[in-house]
Amino acid sequence: MLEIKNLHVAVDGKEILKGLNLSIGAGEVHAIMGPNGSGKSTLSYVLAGRAGYDITQGSIAYNGEDLAALAPEERAAKGVFLAMQYPVEIPGVTTMTFLKTALNSQRRARGESDIDAVGVLKLVRAKAKTLNVSEEMLKRALNVGFSGGEKKRLEILQMAIFEPKLAILDETDSGLDIDALRLVAEGVNALRDPSRAMLVITHYQRLLDYIVPDRIHVLAKGRIVAEGGKELALELEAKGYEHIVGQAA
Amino acid sequence: MSIAAETKSQVAELGEKYKYGFVTDIEMERAPKGLSEDTVRYISAKKGEPDWMLEWRLGAFKRWQAMTEPKWARVHYPKIDYQNAYYYAAPKNTPKKQSLDEVDPKLLETYKKLGIPLHEQMALAGVAVDAVFDSVSVATTFKEKLNEAGVIFCPISEAIRDYPDLVKKYLGTVVPVTDNYFATLNSAVFSDGTFVYVPKGVRCPMELSTYFRINASETGQFERTLIIADEDSYVSYLEGCTAPKRDENQLHAAVVELIALDNAEIKYSTVQNWYPGDENGLGGIFNFVTKRGDCRGKKSKISWTQVETGSAITWKYPSCILRGDESVGEFYSIAIANHYQQADTGTKMIHLGANTRSRIISKGISAGKAQNTYRGLVSVYGKAKNARNYTQCDSLLIGGDCGAHTVPYIESRNKTARIEHEATTSKIAEDQLFYCLARGIPQDEAVSLIVNGFCREVLQQLPMEFAVEAQKLVGISLEGSVG
Amino acid sequence: MTLALNLDRKAAAAAVVHSHGVPHRRIEEWKYSDLKSALGDQGLGAVTAEWLVGNLPSGVEMFDLAWPNPPAWVMNHFARPTQNVMRAASLALSAGGVALRVPAGAQIADVLKLDFNGPGHVRGLLVLEEGASLTLAEGVGVADFRNVGFEIVLGEGAALEHVRISPEAGDAVLVEEVLLHLAARAHYRGHFAGFGSKLSRMELEVSLEGEGAQAHLSGVSVLDGKRHSDVTTHVIHRVVNTNSTQLFKHVAGGSARAVYQGKVTVAKGADGSDSSQTAKALLLGEAAEADLKPELEIFADDVKCAHGAAVGDLDAESLFYLRARGIPESQARGLLLQAFLEDAVAEIVHTDQRELVRTELLTALKAVA
Repeated sequence: MLEIKNLHVAVDGKEILKGLNLSIGAGEVHAIMGPNGSGKSTLSYVLAGRAGYDITQGSIAYNGEDLAALAPEERAAKGVFLAMQYPVEIPGVTTMTFLKTALNSQRRARGESDIDAVGVLKLVRAKAKTLNVSEEMLKRALNVGFSGGEKKRLEILQMAIFEPKLAILDETDSGLDIDALRLVAEGVNALRDPSRAMLVITHYQRLLDYIVPDRIHVLAKGRIVAEGGKELALELEAKGYEHIVGQAA
Repeated sequence: MSIAAETKSQVAELGEKYKYGFVTDIEMERAPKGLSEDTVRYISAKKGEPDWMLEWRLGAFKRWQAMTEPKWARVHYPKIDYQNAYYYAAPKNTPKKQSLDEVDPKLLETYKKLGIPLHEQMALAGVAVDAVFDSVSVATTFKEKLNEAGVIFCPISEAIRDYPDLVKKYLGTVVPVTDNYFATLNSAVFSDGTFVYVPKGVRCPMELSTYFRINASETGQFERTLIIADEDSYVSYLEGCTAPKRDENQLHAAVVELIALDNAEIKYSTVQNWYPGDENGLGGIFNFVTKRGDCRGKKSKISWTQVETGSAITWKYPSCILRGDESVGEFYSIAIANHYQQADTGTKMIHLGANTRSRIISKGISAGKAQNTYRGLVSVYGKAKNARNYTQCDSLLIGGDCGAHTVPYIESRNKTARIEHEATTSKIAEDQLFYCLARGIPQDEAVSLIVNGFCREVLQQLPMEFAVEAQKLVGISLEGSVG
Repeated sequence: MTLALNLDRKAAAAAVVHSHGVPHRRIEEWKYSDLKSALGDQGLGAVTAEWLVGNLPSGVEMFDLAWPNPPAWVMNHFARPTQNVMRAASLALSAGGVALRVPAGAQIADVLKLDFNGPGHVRGLLVLEEGASLTLAEGVGVADFRNVGFEIVLGEGAALEHVRISPEAGDAVLVEEVLLHLAARAHYRGHFAGFGSKLSRMELEVSLEGEGAQAHLSGVSVLDGKRHSDVTTHVIHRVVNTNSTQLFKHVAGGSARAVYQGKVTVAKGADGSDSSQTAKALLLGEAAEADLKPELEIFADDVKCAHGAAVGDLDAESLFYLRARGIPESQARGLLLQAFLEDAVAEIVHTDQRELVRTELLTALKAVA
């Protein structure tokens, strides 16, 4: 589903990703682990199409299509979803309005018909329940005044509503206590599907106890330096990044 | 004694508290009283100036005669009689001195009282001082070390003689002769001041410092400062000002011009404690100063830091013209007004170049019957792509008879620019004060402590040597203000 | 009013107009709005503009200022002396206007609709007596040049919500000065939506004269092309425990110019005053300009006063977030612009009036975004 080849990405003229290769098939869950500054967030932003992340070399194919040629909203409509590490607060836009606008924008772009307000409300309510997102949260402005856990739950709620094909979870565990983490992980696991690929980006092994990946890649200094099954996470936890990164170098 | 009564007695003593209020008794040589073309010629002749300089002065004088005093600031003062003052005063018989030993000991005594480390202590302090005593520079030290680095640091009168090309090239290019009433007056009659030139690629090896002091009565002081930081250079300049106690008001109209070329940085710090007048508003300095920096080069930076505790009237807006792309302007200010002091001070940040940045942190403290105004302009021109400004402007009121005013102008003509301005006004927190008192800290010290906390962001910008003095000044200026 | 009183007040106003002349950009208060050059040769003129009461709810008394023998309530409040040149001009150069009164204790549920139309000068007076309450919808007709001098007096405990919508008005020069006097516990909410013209100036002077008086001012402007819109306010806290808030949001496209000048004065002894002031502008046009001047003048120490101002572009991060969730860029921008203005619009309490402003904004935003 996702085929990244020799990807080089520069931010403000500084090269962050230096020849990254990654391949994810439908139904697979991959994890990217890496120390701070290894380029994890850059990878997530470049996949979602944020401005300022310039691909200087290499390619990203998504279902055979050149992802880089698409605007962020086109990617979203085609099923790319990025759950952000720091979801943005947008005062003045209620969460419900946002969800409705986004959902129907994506549907329209795919040539599907709009879902009316009542339909959206039903859909959102049904999914919100399992993620413990309250009615009151939906009425508030998007992410404004939400706790860290609430923001992350809302991201996963959006993933449940939009039903993406490729979900990228950027440090979804950061800032969560163990109960919130479990809740979020359960939400993610419920969305595991043979037709859906997931890329879980994290610094710590902790999240991978709950979202067990099929494959783990270790990112350091802009490159994948090690790969393996889920047991690699435990090795990292035990020996630290320095050990693995050092070995690879 | 109740706190209120105690405070009253402290206030009564305050008149005696201006610790720099002594007069040095030295024979003075003065220009005839009054201001005319002859006065201008007299000053120029006394300075042994070349003709071009005299012409420059005369042009300014002509211009000044056609101008009127600005009225827009929130300051009120009796009409200044420009004919009833001396425009030049110099200690008599002070031709060139070879060493400090030749300097009048009384003069050195004065500096000692001011706490200027002019003697050997200076070596330890690492400060070079070009001391301006009234109008003439008396002693310049550390010349040799600066010479080695190629830095020119001398009285401006000397620079006019010895470096005419540099002076001609830069003088009046930041503050034009016609800029404003007081700057034009200064251009006509400036008697001395400081000149600094830091050559390409040189990081000035020490903090440069000049102490200004108004001594003679009925003398206006019109110093002129010109600092040029050539490409890739750095200089930090400290200026301290004090004046003796006198019943009449004295006029001080200085002009400071800073020029930073590509990648150069100038840091200009001022501690101003001119005599503020007594507790009834009698006497004190009228401080009408034009200070402006021109970030002429790419990636240049000019940073103003000021601690203004003195003067009866302060009218002063150290500004930055951010002409070079990616240049940076900063203004950090503490202005304290007590008794009948009036301060109208602030800055202008003129964003002309792309990616220019500016930052304004202003802390105003009003006490007694004083009026304290922050007046600032942030202006982004059409070509200043991605310009950024952040302004934080806080006022603290101590007592119900003073005033604190904020007049910011924010003008943006570029959609990619981002300007943020925040301001607050509050009174000194009673709970903080009580907490300090309850822990045994005397009232004045508590006030000093709290106000210093309020000013912390600005005090941090000062070089070490000044920071300590400034902190003390904050305390001294506010003694007895809480009742 | 007696002819003599009328003439006296007019003569005084004429003297103010005569000594000041037409305001221009060298006059500090008119720095960003050069009325003199906008008017050109036509000057101030001396035509009387029109007014129209579209809906006069029962219980509201009306008096045409062109009629003889005004009642006492008009006499008491009309045309207080002023040094404001345009307010003086609206009296000196016109021969009429409208006065309205809500008697003590009357709670008027219906909206009072008042429009000012046509070229020239005109006066308005609205008096809410003790405990009265009203919603006023003020309409602004397009004209080459009109100057409205409006006085509003709120008695003790009176409550007024005032919503004014100034439509996009091409080459019009529209100036209005509202002067408000608030007695103890009086409550004023004013919302000013503006879509700009060659020169539009809305000036508000709010005098909080009784303990517990409060004023909440808000406004939005959406400007395209060469439109100009100036909101100039002066809130004066004259006594203890008074409260004011201000929230103004501007969006300027094309080469439009949005101006906000707001001054808050806390008089000596007016302890317990609480004031906040926020002005924000978004520039969308390459040649658009925003000028903000939030000013504080404080003569009392036991106060809480704060102001904030900001100018910028739409937040890039928010825009990305919306796009990453599938919302096309233009729609995302529209959404963010609405969101930017929303908190100021939300200040309007009257539901229908709020929706009316929202609808107008949506239309204007489509054009500018």
